[in-house]
Amino acid sequence: MNRLTGLSQRLRSALRRGAIEAELDEEIRLHLDLETERNVALGMEPGEARRRALAAFGGVEATKEAHRDGRGTRWLDDLAADTRHALRNLRRRPVFALTAVATLALGIGANTTIFSAVEAVVLRPLPYADPGRLVMLWEENPEKDWHEQLVAPANALDWKDRVAAFADVALYNTGIGSATLTGEGAPRLLRRDRVTGNFFSVLGVSAELGRTLRPEETWASGTHVAVLSHRAWRDHFGGDSAVIGRTVQLEGEAVQIVGVMPAGFEAPLPDVDMWGPFEWNQSDRSQVWFRRAHWPRAIARLRPGVTEEQANAQLQVVVRQLQHEYPETNRVMGAGFTPLHRFLVGDSRRPLLVLLAAVSLLLAIACANVGNLLLVQAAGRERETALRLALGASRSRVIRQALAESLVLSAIGGAAGIVLGIGGTRLLEALQPEGMLRVAHFGFDARVFLYVLLVTIVSGIAFGIAPALWSGRRAPGDAIKEGGRGGDAGGAGRRWAERLVVAEVGLAVLLTLGAGLLVRSFLRLQQVNAGFESEGVLTAAIALPEASYDSVRVPVFFQQLVEQARGIPGVTSAALTSAIPLTGATWTSDFVIAGRPPSEFGSEVMHRMVSPDYFDVMRVPLLSGRRFTAEDRAGSPLVTLINEQLARQYFRGASPVGQRIAFDRVPDSTSKWYTIVGVVGSERQRELAADPRIEAYFPIAQNPGNYRILVARTAGDPAALGPAIRRVVAGLDPSLAIVSLRTMREVRTESSARDRFLTTLMLLFAVVGVVLAVVGVYGVMAQLAQRRSHEMGIRLALGAEPSAVRWLVVRHGLMLVGVGLAAGVVVAAAATRSLAALLYQVAPADPATFVAVPLILAAAGLAAAWVPAAHASRVDPATTLRAD
Amino acid sequence: MANPTPADVLRGTLDLLILKTLTLAPMHGWGISQRIQQFSRGVLDVNQGSLYPALQRLGHRGLITSEWQVTEHNRRARYYALTPRGREALHEETASWRRYVSAVEWILATS
Repeated sequence: MNRLTGLSQRLRSALRRGAIEAELDEEIRLHLDLETERNVALGMEPGEARRRALAAFGGVEATKEAHRDGRGTRWLDDLAADTRHALRNLRRRPVFALTAVATLALGIGANTTIFSAVEAVVLRPLPYADPGRLVMLWEENPEKDWHEQLVAPANALDWKDRVAAFADVALYNTGIGSATLTGEGAPRLLRRDRVTGNFFSVLGVSAELGRTLRPEETWASGTHVAVLSHRAWRDHFGGDSAVIGRTVQLEGEAVQIVGVMPAGFEAPLPDVDMWGPFEWNQSDRSQVWFRRAHWPRAIARLRPGVTEEQANAQLQVVVRQLQHEYPETNRVMGAGFTPLHRFLVGDSRRPLLVLLAAVSLLLAIACANVGNLLLVQAAGRERETALRLALGASRSRVIRQALAESLVLSAIGGAAGIVLGIGGTRLLEALQPEGMLRVAHFGFDARVFLYVLLVTIVSGIAFGIAPALWSGRRAPGDAIKEGGRGGDAGGAGRRWAERLVVAEVGLAVLLTLGAGLLVRSFLRLQQVNAGFESEGVLTAAIALPEASYDSVRVPVFFQQLVEQARGIPGVTSAALTSAIPLTGATWTSDFVIAGRPPSEFGSEVMHRMVSPDYFDVMRVPLLSGRRFTAEDRAGSPLVTLINEQLARQYFRGASPVGQRIAFDRVPDSTSKWYTIVGVVGSERQRELAADPRIEAYFPIAQNPGNYRILVARTAGDPAALGPAIRRVVAGLDPSLAIVSLRTMREVRTESSARDRFLTTLMLLFAVVGVVLAVVGVYGVMAQLAQRRSHEMGIRLALGAEPSAVRWLVVRHGLMLVGVGLAAGVVVAAAATRSLAALLYQVAPADPATFVAVPLILAAAGLAAAWVPAAHASRVDPATTLRAD
Repeated sequence: MANPTPADVLRGTLDLLILKTLTLAPMHGWGISQRIQQFSRGVLDVNQGSLYPALQRLGHRGLITSEWQVTEHNRRARYYALTPRGREALHEETASWRRYVSAVEWILATS
């Protein structure tokens, strides 16, 4: 037998159902006509001839029915009938249908949103050629506690030359420089990343217009080139393709635009306007600083067929060679690599997966709720179902029909959920902290759609299975016999409802405990003393172009800037710094303290240049000694202030004031010695959640530089003074653009942006989950109380106290909630361990959270049981008894 | 319900008769029923209604094809025709039918 022909015919039959029916009709009509004509030809009356023809045929409808069965599309017809039936049922109960659909849409929508982010960030491959062979190279140094650190260019270039497994190695700067574009209207700041010339070819991407950089352009040649991002090309050059080959003025230098990248290009570093080559000198490769300073990132492309193990083995050989060849810088320097995708996704992965788990719990609660609603509905239709069973409907048919109803519900809920999800995705994109999710847009692609489809079907079955099985399992006699009371107070339906309530409460407590831990952690983070007073401070970063500002003009400019800023009404004090806290934007070095053995050198001290008033403006306390003064100027003895952390770690009680310190590992005759003049409180340099590091401050006057940040303390709202600061800068040099202008409060908020993002969403999901669960408990308790109203009526009629009757219902509810809480807490105790990495100074089994959350939920559960109980105790015995 | 009904036996027979009938020429449903009656000299009275599900079944098995054509009296009718596979099936089923009949015959003769 030819299966394919049969199948294709069946398929055709299914699609051409109407046409086939018509053809069959025609065929039978012809048959009957011909038979009748034959009978007439044999001499019968026309009426008799027709009757005989019909008799010989033997049942036209039966033949048609047999024919329909033979088409093999019976199930399709049944499905259509079930769907129509389900739709009709739902239309008859709009409140139920709307509630169920809205609940599902909420659950599915939240899932869609979070999954689209997970898909875009965690699952989708990087938009580069053969991205699986790209790895991020890093260096590590146990002495300095470096892990997965930035690389020294000289080392990275040696790996490129000596590790055969690497097809190529490209480097890029992690600190994006700002370059002032002049001569194109108002001066504008472009964010320029410096890269090696092979950067684009290693990633395997090409330009949309013009070309990308060339490998030889890594090195200085006297000419300057740059490749624009699509956005910068559109925003700053009007999307004009004539820009290719044009020379523009950047930082007073002539730079030729050689290419424009396509709109979809995502560099490992977001928000870059243009890429320019490093323009190193070939002679730099032999310089010590080129191997000592670690500032770029390095990406390698593995050769085809090379495994990561082989590549790493080869890299380690080269690492050991370099340790021997350059002991001064590389004595304990290690190196390794991580697949690029994992490295870039890194910190976003866990929060996203936690959120996905949370929305899945939410959906499960939503399903339990809808399942409850369906059970109630099924109970209401009990007698109808029983009648159908009694009249010969097969059990599987009844179950299928109940399932069809839940699948129709989930399909509508899923469709609404997709709409909600798309909206949620836009919202999530807008809310995400900068750089957290790597990709700015996570569209709705096939994978997200498949996921939603799967979630929709699974949830449809999940919430439909209990009511469906239940309605199919009942013995028909029972329900009919139970008569008008619609009883079943102790039946299977009640047990299903109770199970659902327990599950719902358990899921809700799990979700809420997770959210509770994150909230506690977030609150801890907000209370952190960052070492400075962030309220009422405005910051403005300025980068002076080196071409037009020499060592004489730079200090003059900054001096005038501070003085004029102080003159702005509302500004109480102003100062300069090379870096603001909580941004991590500073560098580190080794150091030695005079009079100690060379082995006692220290590492990783942070460096910061500040003007004398900095500590006043930021309200960083002076703990001993003195601050910088105007006397600490160029030419006067070199001085430094150290933070409390450094004093405590390296002076152990002895006063550091007056001691001398040099910022080298092995000081020699060229080393500069600084006198420690005071100790100040420790500021958190990197982020709120990270303890302060050891740090040294230097007077700006003794360490001039082109990049400084103005910090101004204001009497009122600091943000309101932004325009005044802009005017001051424009007044000093109209060709300058401010790199960034923001309040310290914004800086502090940004420092916990990831935690805020995660906590807000978790809290939102938890609240929705709890509301759904409470509604679920209420619904079931109301249902149970109503079913027992007959019993209550009898109890009341026999003289029971209303409070005793009330307690009967409340106790029942509390028992269900209690079982759910206990189950949820047990599961949570294990599950919250996966949150440990996201918590700040809160244990995953934080006792306060584990007590408070179940208590709150128990209270909510009590309220949900109380209302129906109060109802039950107020029933009029006469009414309920008469209802029989 | 466990006993095989006469219809089950007849169904296989009807398929065989249809296939045999169609070896002569493509025919429409009524034509097939007439031809079977003529061939059997009126002994076999085919339940005409059961003809159509049988034709559908044979179509699904790929033993016959059908096509809408116009009869000599200018009426639209669906004509059924044997496929090559139908011809093979006819040979096989004829053989097995003969074995079956002779077996039954032998049993009847010996008892």
